[in-house]
Amino acid sequence: MKEAMTRYERIEAAWNLKEPDRVPSDPLNCYILAYQGGISIREMFTDPKKLVEATVRARKKIGEGDQVDPNVTTLDHFSLWPKSGWDRVTLHWKIQEDFPPKGNIPSFFEKCMIEDYDDVMERGFSTLLFNKKIGKDMFERSIDDILYYAFEYPKIYAEAWRKYVEEYQVPLLMGGRGCTPLDLLQYYRGITNLVRDVFERPEKVKEVCEWLLDYEVILAMREAMIMGAGEVPGAEKILWVNGGPPGMSPDIFEEFFWPTAKKGADIMVKRGFKVDCHWDNDLTPHLDTLKGITKGLPKGKVMLDLEKTDMKKAKEVLGDKVCLYGNVPSSLLVYGTVKDVEEHCKKLIEDCAEGGGFILSTECETPWNAKPENVRAIIDAAIKYGQYRR
Amino acid sequence: MGKIADALAAIDKDSALSAVKDAIQRNEDPLGLIEELRLGLELVGDNFEKGKYFLFQLIMAGEIFKDASALIVPKIRERYGSVRKRGKFLIGTVAGDIHDLGKNIVATLLECAGFEVVDLGVDVPADVFVEKIKEHKPQIAGMSGLLTASIDQMEKTIEALEQAGLGEEVKVIVGGGIVGEKWVKGKIRADAATTSAVEGVKIAESYIRGR
Repeated sequence: MKEAMTRYERIEAAWNLKEPDRVPSDPLNCYILAYQGGISIREMFTDPKKLVEATVRARKKIGEGDQVDPNVTTLDHFSLWPKSGWDRVTLHWKIQEDFPPKGNIPSFFEKCMIEDYDDVMERGFSTLLFNKKIGKDMFERSIDDILYYAFEYPKIYAEAWRKYVEEYQVPLLMGGRGCTPLDLLQYYRGITNLVRDVFERPEKVKEVCEWLLDYEVILAMREAMIMGAGEVPGAEKILWVNGGPPGMSPDIFEEFFWPTAKKGADIMVKRGFKVDCHWDNDLTPHLDTLKGITKGLPKGKVMLDLEKTDMKKAKEVLGDKVCLYGNVPSSLLVYGTVKDVEEHCKKLIEDCAEGGGFILSTECETPWNAKPENVRAIIDAAIKYGQYRR
Repeated sequence: MGKIADALAAIDKDSALSAVKDAIQRNEDPLGLIEELRLGLELVGDNFEKGKYFLFQLIMAGEIFKDASALIVPKIRERYGSVRKRGKFLIGTVAGDIHDLGKNIVATLLECAGFEVVDLGVDVPADVFVEKIKEHKPQIAGMSGLLTASIDQMEKTIEALEQAGLGEEVKVIVGGGIVGEKWVKGKIRADAATTSAVEGVKIAESYIRGR
């Protein structure tokens, strides 16, 4: 059935709090694209052509949502300049060969990569980037290999996705990705150390967050430019992850997470990008603070992509301010039935879709081991229950 | 309730440690000081369960407890020779999963509650759980996981314990956000499942009391 809007128009309408022809659907498919497309994790990280081909095959199996995740998470893993060392810190610079992957991306496990904030602010990330404990392969690779992944690979990567978007008319979910400063500190310090820092040296935590911010947003915007921001539909969007460490009280969220998270979004929007706040955990206690996410910004430039947050409450508090995106549970996609998924999506649409400003999606991401028919059920539900105009 | 418990309940590290140091100076019974810390931590747990405190406060309370214990435990050894443990708890994140945030919080709270904790770390295969349970003979084993794939792995690990004849020897508690989701319930045959570190510790305490 031919639909009244293109995928990009549908997504744009939702971002602008308008009613599209129907609720857009976009299961946030990452690893599952490689798994269902029949390639290994290593190929996903090193061969953009294979990744794009796998994406085409996977979407035939699991359904064709209104956007596609170009998996830019994989783009700079072999670069010399990953964003703030985040990739190395979270993955220990280890690309797993094949499914099943150990852990997830990012994988939170306690470690302390930064002992001394002042030292890092003084000398930068060199000790993280060239660190045999984190990434000994950096010392085993040839100079040609390092140069290839730094300069040639991003161009090949971006070109592969540009062709995909042109051929299949599916906009990208994002062109770049950046990490909010407090999230970065969790990865660098481990949550226990970060909690101690927040209680024992709060001003230092704030100072480091400010220090991290510029570096991170500059590299996120650079990535989006490489991916074709302004030319390739969707590449102008930056996924601004991950909503901070879990379990912040409202006062800690407001004092430590929010200032630089909001400032980062503002910087990117003012430079012409759009910001997809991909914020995990249950942010229901922080909805009042989140009301400020669009403050001072033009309409349609920011979206809240929520994981465990109560979407009905989010719609009530934020529905007139910002587009919401989410949040079919991962466990439902793995262990539930098509009927369960359909019912859950119907409820989400009833709770969130009125008046526009809602994109039906998954929690953080679709698990790689989700049942294909369950992922497809999300897309079917948006068509069945999400029509705005008959 | 004394100053130590009050300060811990208020997540006030400086006051808590200062009160502990003063009490040690006055040569108070160190076992009483530990009990007071536990009382303070219980209040933190209550406030957590009521939604007044969040994970950040819970973690910080555990850290204050550890810092205070470091001052008190040498005094217990001086006076009583050893520190009696309430029970032994073996814990690990199951194979294929390397998330350890929840596991670490539970381990800290268990230590604060007086358990000896054997932490196997992350990505622990079923046969390692079996081997280490035989070696350490804990009363309780905790299996942690965040990923959907961890559910199957928890079940496999429990099967391995049963096949090794350990099913009756050790109580199994599974934990992590994923085990509380309604589509997962009934898929793991553990003695208990919980998404809350505070509840996990209470369950462990109830098992020890019931023995």
